[in-house]
Amino acid sequence: MKTGRAKLAVLMLGILILTSTAIAGPGLPPKPAKLTMAVVAGGETKGLKAILPTWEREMGVKVELVEFPYPTLYEKLVTAFQANASTFDLLIADDPWMPKFGSESWLVPLDSTFGYKRDNDIFPVVYDLGSWPPPRGPVPPGESSKARHLYAITLVGNVEFFMYRKDLVSAPNTWDDVVANAKKVNDSSKPFYGFVIRGAKGNPVISEFTPVLLSFGARIFDNNWRVILNSKAAIDALTFFTKTLKSYAPPGVANYDAAERAREIATGRAAQGFIWPAEITDIVENPSVSQVVGKLGYTLAPAGPGGKHAPLIGNWLLAIPKGSKNQRWAYEFILWATSAKMQKPYAMGGGIPFRKSVLLDAQMNKTFPFFKAMADSLAAPAEWRPRTSEWFAVEAILGTHVNAALAGVETPDEAITKAAREIEQHMKEAGYYR
Amino acid sequence: MRHWTPYLLVAPPVVVLASLVIYPLLYNVSLSLRNYRTGEFVGLHNFARALDDPQFFASLRATAVYVSGTLVIEVLLGLALALLVHRTIRSGWARTLVYLLFLIPMVTPPIAAGVIARLIYTPTYGVLNVLLERVGLIRTDILWLSEPLTAMFAVISVDVWQWMPFVFLVCFAGLQAVPIDTAEAARVDGADGWRLFRHIEYPYLRSLLLLVMVFRFTDTFRVFDHVQVLTGGGPGATTEFLSLYLYLIAFKFFNLSYAAALSLFVLFVTSVAFSVLSRYLGREVSE
Repeated sequence: MKTGRAKLAVLMLGILILTSTAIAGPGLPPKPAKLTMAVVAGGETKGLKAILPTWEREMGVKVELVEFPYPTLYEKLVTAFQANASTFDLLIADDPWMPKFGSESWLVPLDSTFGYKRDNDIFPVVYDLGSWPPPRGPVPPGESSKARHLYAITLVGNVEFFMYRKDLVSAPNTWDDVVANAKKVNDSSKPFYGFVIRGAKGNPVISEFTPVLLSFGARIFDNNWRVILNSKAAIDALTFFTKTLKSYAPPGVANYDAAERAREIATGRAAQGFIWPAEITDIVENPSVSQVVGKLGYTLAPAGPGGKHAPLIGNWLLAIPKGSKNQRWAYEFILWATSAKMQKPYAMGGGIPFRKSVLLDAQMNKTFPFFKAMADSLAAPAEWRPRTSEWFAVEAILGTHVNAALAGVETPDEAITKAAREIEQHMKEAGYYR
Repeated sequence: MRHWTPYLLVAPPVVVLASLVIYPLLYNVSLSLRNYRTGEFVGLHNFARALDDPQFFASLRATAVYVSGTLVIEVLLGLALALLVHRTIRSGWARTLVYLLFLIPMVTPPIAAGVIARLIYTPTYGVLNVLLERVGLIRTDILWLSEPLTAMFAVISVDVWQWMPFVFLVCFAGLQAVPIDTAEAARVDGADGWRLFRHIEYPYLRSLLLLVMVFRFTDTFRVFDHVQVLTGGGPGATTEFLSLYLYLIAFKFFNLSYAAALSLFVLFVTSVAFSVLSRYLGREVSE
């Protein structure tokens, strides 16, 4: 009788161990009731929403998305981090936020905590973006002595590249090609414009101008954060942007944001311009709103006089805040959501992928004709915004003066000189140097 | 117990006032006297910095243009419309319809007003350019939002559209207080429209107009929403009013100390204007 009871106990224990492993997975803590994830409201989470039901079915853990508009998300995250609150288990962050999050050590390092192994199918720039301190370029004061860790992995492989009307012009490789194309098709009497600029003050015009500036060989900072913007290359780049390119652009581009740019292309009134992936699926290749579906080609951002292509990167990264009480499960989610297995369903659901295997897949390129241009841009290597938490100030200063030059309020020379002086002043006040 | 009762009775509003107004204000003052990065005490450095900041003066100039433009247009137009409706529309339902129409802009959120105006002023697609072209007033599009002068006009026009009705409603209400027999007597004595206004109606409106100006001055001095949507302060910094510049300093530059100093400046200007106008107002009412 005693032996029977002992056998039953062993059997029960075995069943318990087996079921708990099946529920939690090997080495995993018990399942949390849910994972709470802070995300930006908008198209960036389309793919994520498409794959979430699969995760919940496979893993049995609910993921609750808490959506905030872009500026509010940053404020909410910073507030939660400062309080070390366990409000969020996961977050997606715009890559220019990494310097602030990294230097404040608000995120869980994925390599040293969980042993994350790099994957060859993922572009190196993705890992560079999620690492802190940054592996290249200037490092903010006091940060270079810190050990480098990987804190985040891309979920949205956003990168800016170039679009052109392939039925009217050939793929431009350089800015000279862009100008030649524009000259060929520009006809303001129709009206049909050779190039459309997203020129509104601040972030819009800087997203547009930075690839031009860098392709002309200019830089904003040297490796010690000294401002080297006031250069011939920068003035040439701004003159080209505000005189040559503007002469082929619709009137009033100094107030154009992404919506106006996409509308000019989608209504068949412009031949060339920069584009971000979300604008393609949502507008210019969307048959319900676009008159040019199938007529657009996509390519790497044009090269400047020195042959340099400088596509601007703007990934959204997945990370785990230190305050999370479900870090291990949050990490499981990151692994799962960024896995090769989930990348195709993610892309088919409207997500912007970042894996080479999907971006270079011939079949996928038939459905999403811009994937190859994205792969080329991510491999370029894509340029990132200087890795400093002062970037927003730099962008605001430069964005005001570039916009003023585009509107004809300042000359390119004046705009660059004033911007350089104000950026230097700001960096001094921010403690980068005396 | 009886001794404490009055204190206990006033305690709740005092606590609410202290926590919602006095504490943030004192915190703001403390912030303005410190270095935003290190927190060390820097005295009046942040205020002195404003005197050496060309962008601050540029935003102040832009704000002055905006405030004076909106104030003059809103008061004159609101008053003129109130007089027009008061003198020409007698039917009760027609007046109700006018009130309702004038209420619509006031209940529209400023962000929505900005978005609507952006669509109206956009070159090529904007309805304003299309209308002006149709009636033959222009041949090529006016770039309303990308030229300094027209951008200023555009942001002022939205404020006028939204808040001129407030002036209208207040003035119209004031005109109802004018005794009909006095106005009729003036007319019989041969007073024309201007004299009727100057000597009969205006005395009833004077204090109300001052009140309206106090409200509109403080509101326009702090304008933000529709300008941010419509021009974002552009082109360049031509419509970057003080509130937009303050936002830039606080939430893009993260220099909260300098932003606190500038916000105290805004508080000072609006308080001075408010107290000066209130004094006039008090005198008007007592007269």
